[in-house]
Amino acid sequence: MPEIFINGQAVQADDNQTVMQAALAHGFFIPYFCWHPHLSVHGNCRICTVEVEGDGGGWLDIACNMPVAKGMRILTDSDKVRARRKQTMQFITLNHPVDCGICDKAGECTLQDYHVAYNGSPSTSRDPKVQSTKFFPLSQRIILDNERCILCTRCVRFTREVSKSNALGVRNRGDHSLIRPTEDRSFDADEYSDNVIDLCPVGALLSRRFHYKARVWYLKPTPSVCPGCERGCSIDLWHRRPEWKLSALDARQNNRIDRVTPRENPAVNGPWMCNKGRDLAATFERARADQPLLKGRPVDSTAAIANARQLIGDARHPVALVSSWGSNEELASFKQALGGRFECFVKADVAAAPGETLADAILIRPDKNPNTAGARALFGAAPPRFAADTDLVLVWGEGTNFGDLPPRAKVIFLNAWLQPENGHADVFFPISVQTERAGHYTNFEGVESAFAPCFAKADTVADAEALFAALAVGPESGA
Amino acid sequence: MPGRQLLMSFPVTATSHALADYRARGGYATLEKALASMTPQQITAEVTASGLLGHGGAAFAVGRKWSVIRLNDGQPHYLCANADEGEPGTFKDRWILENAPHLLIESMLIASYALQVRNAFVYIRGEFDLPFRRIQGAVDEAYAAGLLGERVLGRDFACDIIVYRGAGSYVCGEASGLITSIEGKRGYPRNRPPRLTVRGLYQRPTVINNVESLANITGIVRDGAEAFRKVGTAKSPGTQLISISGHIAKPGVYEVEYGYPFAKFIHEDCGGVLGGRKLKTIIPGGISTKVLTAAEIEPLKLDHASLAAAGSSMGSGGMIVIAEGTCMVRLLQVLLRFYHHESCGQCTPCREGMGWMHRIIDRIVGGEGRPEDIERLYEISHANDGTTICGMGDAAGYATVGILNKFRDEFEYFIEHKRSRLGGNLEVLPNA
Repeated sequence: MPEIFINGQAVQADDNQTVMQAALAHGFFIPYFCWHPHLSVHGNCRICTVEVEGDGGGWLDIACNMPVAKGMRILTDSDKVRARRKQTMQFITLNHPVDCGICDKAGECTLQDYHVAYNGSPSTSRDPKVQSTKFFPLSQRIILDNERCILCTRCVRFTREVSKSNALGVRNRGDHSLIRPTEDRSFDADEYSDNVIDLCPVGALLSRRFHYKARVWYLKPTPSVCPGCERGCSIDLWHRRPEWKLSALDARQNNRIDRVTPRENPAVNGPWMCNKGRDLAATFERARADQPLLKGRPVDSTAAIANARQLIGDARHPVALVSSWGSNEELASFKQALGGRFECFVKADVAAAPGETLADAILIRPDKNPNTAGARALFGAAPPRFAADTDLVLVWGEGTNFGDLPPRAKVIFLNAWLQPENGHADVFFPISVQTERAGHYTNFEGVESAFAPCFAKADTVADAEALFAALAVGPESGA
Repeated sequence: MPGRQLLMSFPVTATSHALADYRARGGYATLEKALASMTPQQITAEVTASGLLGHGGAAFAVGRKWSVIRLNDGQPHYLCANADEGEPGTFKDRWILENAPHLLIESMLIASYALQVRNAFVYIRGEFDLPFRRIQGAVDEAYAAGLLGERVLGRDFACDIIVYRGAGSYVCGEASGLITSIEGKRGYPRNRPPRLTVRGLYQRPTVINNVESLANITGIVRDGAEAFRKVGTAKSPGTQLISISGHIAKPGVYEVEYGYPFAKFIHEDCGGVLGGRKLKTIIPGGISTKVLTAAEIEPLKLDHASLAAAGSSMGSGGMIVIAEGTCMVRLLQVLLRFYHHESCGQCTPCREGMGWMHRIIDRIVGGEGRPEDIERLYEISHANDGTTICGMGDAAGYATVGILNKFRDEFEYFIEHKRSRLGGNLEVLPNA
């Protein structure tokens, strides 16, 4: 544990730390573009230069590549350091187009922040900037603006060190260098490619999905859990801030998931997530069911509940197919209210889509449901099976073919989406989705992660947790 | 010839580069002696005692570099001969590769023995054709003669030499750029620490020496450090191959004993300035060293200490003579175009600075210079001093600052009058 001094303050650093790591760990900020805690050190942006005090005046070097040494005295904000940073910012912005007005990154851009913090003056160059490709199609999902790129190579290192696709490289030399796909690999095949958009410290790497869709200062991240597979990556769902709610224009924007980014969680996904999770909007923005039905006939929820209670009360052998997309809270409510009345099986709501990667060595897991582990903990792992005398089936969640149910059994169906099966059930309840409620999922390793609501649910849509309590049939249900 | 000769001490003939001729000159006897009677430590001690300085440009003591390698540390070590001779004006290593390739191979074998190297590399620039054929031919000859491979000279010492051709990048002549290139990656220099002698090629301890530095090893081991120190000066022992070009009557490669008078070398050995012109300035050691004017070289001796005292350096021994009447603005334009073209683009100050300086000088030459441009060139040069991963940013800054310091009036004239005071000349006509 070498003791070093940062801005005169003694700090206990770890043996193998760099000055950058020691400083950040102890609350000293050193700016950086190319350095990233989860990638190798390339030391090319030079903005993290700090001063090392020594005999005969100090010297300047980059903090990200400087191993700590006992007694070392570091200054992170001396006059020399400030002058050097200013020079470096002049270089970095020299050929940057400063087209923040039309840049998706504006508002969360490291370059903007550092320009204000460390430079603050206009370019001293009056020569034309180097022009380069705008909107180069890097893959089906990502476009690259070479003029904005500061060549920090985070994206290149990501494809080599994390996603292992080796799909990006640098072409050409000097200020004509370009990030480009490597010739023999495909960036489209990289299932983690969208992470480079978050890694990019400037607005060079742009998501086609998010391109020109929203200004980030109108958005708000809500912590959530990706339901794409049993990994349950921690994510942020970005949606319009309630205080910036649109009353004119397209009001649908108020309830839209604009983008999905990973939220760092060392216990589950580290700082990354896969591309499937980026496309959650497509899952959550399918057409919704919002009307309770009796054999396809719209009714109010009171009538639906009364009917369902009747069916449950009359059944001799009721079976429940429990959703692996239910939160732990909903599952517990079901267990408490109806667990004794029903023979319960956990069902897979979603199966892998054709062509989808089943599993890999990074994050992707074979079970494409978020809470199978949580559901099995309460209801066991046995596959659904219907005894001959089954006369009622409660199906919770999508993904069940009604043709597979016992033909004479009555069906109570709970589903969030507008699907043809809804009308075939004897009683149908529309239920809320993950983005409309709080809860927890337990992933395949037993780690429980919380999600929070982004949007309000429609009044006619039931909250499953409350619905189960309402369906609990009196004392005879336990019999 | 200017002083005593260590490397160019034999007459060049059509076959002088071949193994038979080299053996007739006593070749590979030193290797025999080293393997038979010396320990690796003794060889390194001898090289350290000789005071041999690196000939690639930085003049780092070869013995000090070698001493960092820990013998028997359980890891493979590597040796690379840096034959990526790319510094403009420098073509001295080419002479060794073409005319004394076996001297390099023998020296590399001795060095490999001293440093416990199993695999050694010659990284040769891709543009070198004859030098490549000569060194590859010599390596093939050496394998056939049992001088390379599993049992060198029938002894329990194995060493292979691989000749690796670069793809044409100035930056790959920088030691760490060179090893990333050998590793098959883009030739980006690496940050230090770790030093390459700690973690170099394939993350193993690696010694990278200039071809000429290595070529001196055989002589040092053969004759002893004592004898080597008798040549040259106390602080710069030995000789320097100087490749001289530009406006000079007799361009070529000369072996110069350190301490030889600079002016005498130019005016007598090299026949003076082309066309009998007066000398304007000299780039003494490759374009990355600061220029020296005719008056400045008058009292100078050709050795590291003397040139350092004059604010320049021996550099890589690539001397460029510039005659009176040459436009320094256009000269700087040529240099900056080179640096812009060769900047690898990895780190910010050099990537952006080289292009910026090039655009400024292009504009000045195009008659659109602005008074603040000179200060801007100084600023960019200083912002590149010591801020980059490799030395290229510094080098471009030295070249620029050196010329601006001494010929500022030409730049001011050009900016003010939108034309060169000297007609924009870079050439000297023989009858002028």
